[in-house]
Formats: sequence, structure tokens, C-alpha cells
Amino acid sequence: MKQVYICHDTVTGIYSALYDAWKESRNREAGIELRGKTQQQLFCEYRIVEECEKKVPAVQRMIKRYMGYNTYWDFYLAILSDDNEKGDAVFRTMQEARRIADSTRIMDHLGCPAVAKVFELSRRVSNEAHIYKEVIRFRELENGVLFSEISPRTKILACIAEHFADRFPLENWMIYDKTHKAFLAHRAGAECRLICGEELNKESASRISANQKEYEELWKAFFESIAVKERENPKLQRTHLPKRYRREMTEFS
Amino acid sequence: MDCIQTEMTLYEKLQILSDAAKYDVACTSSGVDRRGDGNGMGNCSRAGICHSFSADGRCISLLKILFTNECIYDCKYCVNRSSNDVVRTSFTPDDICTLTMEFYRRNYIEGLFLSSGILKSPDYTMELLYVTLYKLRHVYNFQGYIHVKAIPGADTRLIRLTGFLADRMSVNVELPTAEGLRRLAPHKSRKNILTPMRFVQDGMRQNREEITLYRNAPRFVPAGQSTQMIIGATQDTDYHILSTAEALYKKFDLKRVFYSAFVPVNRDSVFPAVSHDGPPLLREHRLYQADWLLRFYHFEAAELLDEKNPNFNIFLDPKCCWALKHLELFPVEINRAEYRMLLRVPGIGCKSASRIVKARRMGNLQFDDLRKIGVVLKRALYFITCSGKMMCPTKIEEDYITRNLLNTKERIPEGAGSLNYRQLTLFDDMDPEKARLTFQ
Ligand code: SF4
Repeated sequence: MKQVYICHDTVTGIYSALYDAWKESRNREAGIELRGKTQQQLFCEYRIVEECEKKVPAVQRMIKRYMGYNTYWDFYLAILSDDNEKGDAVFRTMQEARRIADSTRIMDHLGCPAVAKVFELSRRVSNEAHIYKEVIRFRELENGVLFSEISPRTKILACIAEHFADRFPLENWMIYDKTHKAFLAHRAGAECRLICGEELNKESASRISANQKEYEELWKAFFESIAVKERENPKLQRTHLPKRYRREMTEFS
Repeated sequence: MDCIQTEMTLYEKLQILSDAAKYDVACTSSGVDRRGDGNGMGNCSRAGICHSFSADGRCISLLKILFTNECIYDCKYCVNRSSNDVVRTSFTPDDICTLTMEFYRRNYIEGLFLSSGILKSPDYTMELLYVTLYKLRHVYNFQGYIHVKAIPGADTRLIRLTGFLADRMSVNVELPTAEGLRRLAPHKSRKNILTPMRFVQDGMRQNREEITLYRNAPRFVPAGQSTQMIIGATQDTDYHILSTAEALYKKFDLKRVFYSAFVPVNRDSVFPAVSHDGPPLLREHRLYQADWLLRFYHFEAAELLDEKNPNFNIFLDPKCCWALKHLELFPVEINRAEYRMLLRVPGIGCKSASRIVKARRMGNLQFDDLRKIGVVLKRALYFITCSGKMMCPTKIEEDYITRNLLNTKERIPEGAGSLNYRQLTLFDDMDPEKARLTFQ
């Protein structure tokens, strides 16, 4: 009977499930499903995974060692995606990797549906992360913190941390992911921290600094005047910058 | 003059000096990878980062501004020319530093694109640009991207100093021929423009040697130089334009040549009759396509156009046109053709070509594999065989293929060809030879 592992939709949850599944069921049909999103099927045995931090580095090490760093990174990104079958796809890809001569090349085997799925999810996340490097807008709060709110579909905070930390090493900044209720927080001169499951204090996030309005106005003025009237082209603008990102962008508000 | 400047707010200055800078098309922040050193603000990523798109659909990556819109010159095509009666203003170096830093902190921009009208003299202006960049780099500790103009006629030592602070430098050639320049920009000359370009090129070469000697040598214009040509302000043909671009790539190692569809901001009898279709955007698009062919597809300008056929076809992209003129080379066998030949097949891009070369080592490719690889079969099918077979029965005959290619809609950027699209559906069977005339 097919063994199905059930875990939370978190990095720890999914890696724990992979840990258990790999340990017990790598040689048979097994699957990974997310809590609250399972599709109960007949002839399956369901088991709730015991999630624990220690299992995470253990599986990650194993993946890096046998499948290489790039594969590890594709898995990691796929796990941050918004697809309910992501755990399953990663697990099946790991199974497939055992069947081929050079396991580090597993991500080239796009003919395998599981591999194709992981590849697609990984790209979905890295594309979204890239878009947010472009469209994130910070506002300066009263206390000098640069603050941004975003609504990404996937959990990209971990993928943009390094980019902004390198860019603004001497600033205190914070990005709040509204979709997943998570913060990425950076203190001047320190490392980034990812904080999950916290609510935003809307009141303090709305207290902007004395200068903030002025720079918003300056930016909007620039945004207006830099467009060439004779070339106006809202359709082209929309293909490059879909409407859903604009809600959180200064120049469109 | 001074009193006007001091009365003006930063907001008004920004409006005027960004409005005056908007006809410069280059806005990319690409060409250099640099991590922050932890003591300032900013970094650079090689692919460049776009932060927004303006109402004309162009990317906004850099804070694109003029230092001043005052100018002692009188180029016919320019809003800032001395004979125009417009409000004049200048930033101070600190204005620019503050704007750049505050915009950058909020992630509005990747950096600064600083150009300028000529205030007093080329040297005077170049020095102002230098001082601004020096402050931005060394007082404000800005490590993001900087693109700066080298002012033709300025002391090369000033240009050199500035080049050590910038990532990219550019001098606009403005017009494809010396004759056009003489008519429209009487204060500029080819020589005057090419001198700083050559100087920057030499500086980069020398710098590369220094860097191999000692790794921490300061970097001189690490993202290379670019230039821009205005399209449609003179009678110059596409052939002129493309040949000039080719010469610039070859002789000056330029990273990019940009093409800017002429927007008539001044009324002047020297310009060709203004068409009512707005700026020649489709023509600009064809030039970008051809430019791409020069840079990544190993084409030469003379293969695409010549004195007899000096302009691109509005209905078909330059690569299709080339292929139709060389049907004797086709069809090519996908499983054997050289990489460079694959690049010349309509419907096969650089990525697909290298994927084909990789994939065919594993086994013979079929049409279905090509589709997965990303080949646009509806364009490629007339030009290729897989294991000796064509995808479907087709005549290899210019008229026949032309008609079929015209029926497969080309993806033209939104808006670039609205009028011509209408023409296309009106004259479905129109002879593309004749269609070329509509450019003139
Ligand atoms: S030099 Fe010519 S193009 Fe440049 S600002 Fe002056 S008038 Fe305009």
C-alpha cells in the first residue's frame, strides 16, 4: 500500500517528511502531502510526520553530497513554491536520481515528470524572487527603519535576503510578506533574520518619517516626466509590469 | 540666471532635468558585478536590474537626469538647444547625491545616469560631472551603478578621472553620417565625438592590463561604453545606420549601440517631413533586431542590406529577409548543420541553437524535439530538415515562403507597428519589395 507522509507547509515540515520518507520508503511507492491539503485516497496509508529541526540539515547534506549543490538549490526553491505537490515532486525526483548513472545530473532528466515539476517550481520561485528585487519599495519610518510590504505567491523572502543585505549593510530594514505572514529583518551591520508567523503592527508601520512624503513625491514626479508622450504605450507597460505588483509600488499609488 | 536657480525647488529642478534627459534611451544597469564592501550602500549585478516601467513601456533602471539643461550649443534636434526659450536650471552636486541616495535606499533605482547640456565650456561641464561623481562615490559611499556621459571636447584628463568613478561611459554619435551631424549639430563633429570614445576604449584596455598585474587596481569604466543614434531625423538609410553601428562595435569595442526613434521636439525645416504615425518605432525595432544579429548571430551589416536595398522590410524581420534571399543554402539538416548555420535559420535563436547542438549528441532529433527545445517551427519549417525529411511538403521558393511567413504573425512589441499591422491585414498579399517604400 502506498505510504503517504503528511507535514506542514514549512521548510522544516517538508524536509522532515523527506527525511522520513527517504529512510523508510525510498524503495517503494510513497508520497508527501501537505496538512489541510491532502486528497484522501483509498489504498493509502497516511502518517503524520514528526517535524524536527535536526532532520533538515541531515537531508540537505545527503542531497548535496549525492545530487550536487545545484540540485540541492533547485529542491530548496521548489519547496518554497506555492504548489501542493512540491514535496511529492522532490521525493520522486530523489527516487529517480537513484536510477540514473550520474545522480548529480538528475535535473537534466526533464523527461521524468517529477523532475520537470521540480524544475518548473524552482523557476517559478526564482523568477518571482527576481521580480521582487526590482519592485520592492521601501518607505522610511519614523525610527529610520526602511520598511516594505509585499504579497508574493511563493515564499521568496529567503531568496532575496542576501541581495538586500549586501546592498544596504548599514541600514535597518524590514520586509513583510503579507501572504505568508513572515518578516525578513535586517539590523545595521548584522545578519538577516527570517521571522515566521508574526502579525504586523499596522499602526507603527504607518508612522513614516518626516522626509518620506517628499521623496515619494519626487519619485512620482520623476516617474511621470521620464516617459516620452509620443511613445505612450500602456499595453507594453502592462506586459512588462503586471498590475498585481503595482499595488505596492510607490509610483502607482 | 543665478536667482532663478536658487529659487527653484528640488522638485521643480528634478521635473525639468529629467524631462530634458528622457530622449536618451540607454537605461540599462548591466555589465558589471560588484558586491558591496560593507561600508556604504549599493552593489551591482551583471544582468542589470529594472525597477519600473514608465507610461511609454520603457524600463526605468537609473535615475536619468541632466546636470543642467543650459547649453551653449544649438543642436537642431534637441530641446535644450541654446536657441530654445525654455526654463533653465542646474542641480548642485549635493542635489544629485541626495536624490540618488534617497531613491536608491527606497529601492526605486539601480543607480544614476548623468548627462548634461554644455554649461560654459566642455571642460567646465565635465568637471562638474566629475565633482558630482567623486562626492557620490567617496563622500556618500555609493557603490551602485553609475552611467555618465563623456563630454566631447573636454580635457581627456577629466574624462579619465571620471572614468574611474563610473561603471559605464557613453558619448552619443547622434547621427549616422558626418554630413547629418554637420547639418543638425553644427557645433559637433565626428572627430570631436570619436576622440573621447577612442580615449575611453584605450583607457579600458590599459586598465585590463593593470588589473592582471595587480588585482586591486581601480577599475576604469568596467561596464564598457555605449552610444546612441537618432533614427529618422535625417534621410540616412538603415544601411548607413547599421554600417555605422557595425564600425563602432568593431573599432571601438562598444558594449551597446542604442537607437532612438526621432521625436520632433523642435519645429525646423531641416527635418524630413514629419509623418503622422508618430516616431518611427517599427523602424527602430527592426534596427534593434539587426543589431542583435550583428552582436550574437555573426551577421555582417553588408549581408543584411546594401546600396540597392538600403532599408529593412517592415513586414519581415531582417533574418527572414536574409534567408529568403539565400534559399540556395536551405534547407539545412538539423542533425548535422554547424552551430553558426543553425543560428541563421529563421525561428532558431541562440538558446535553441546551442540546445540543438547539445541534444543531438544524445541521438537524432525529430521535429517534436525541436518544438520542446523552443524552435519556432512555423517559421523554421521552410528552412530545415530532420533526418532528411521536411516537416511538411513545401516549396522552396521565395514567393511561396514569403506569403506563408507573412501569414504567421510576428511578435512585434505592443504598439511598435499598430499602423503597419493594419496595413498588413489590408494588403495581405502585398509585395514586400514595394512595402519598403513606406519608410521614406
Ligand atoms: S550639446 Fe546639443 S544635444 Fe547636447 S544638450 Fe546641447 S544642444 Fe542638446
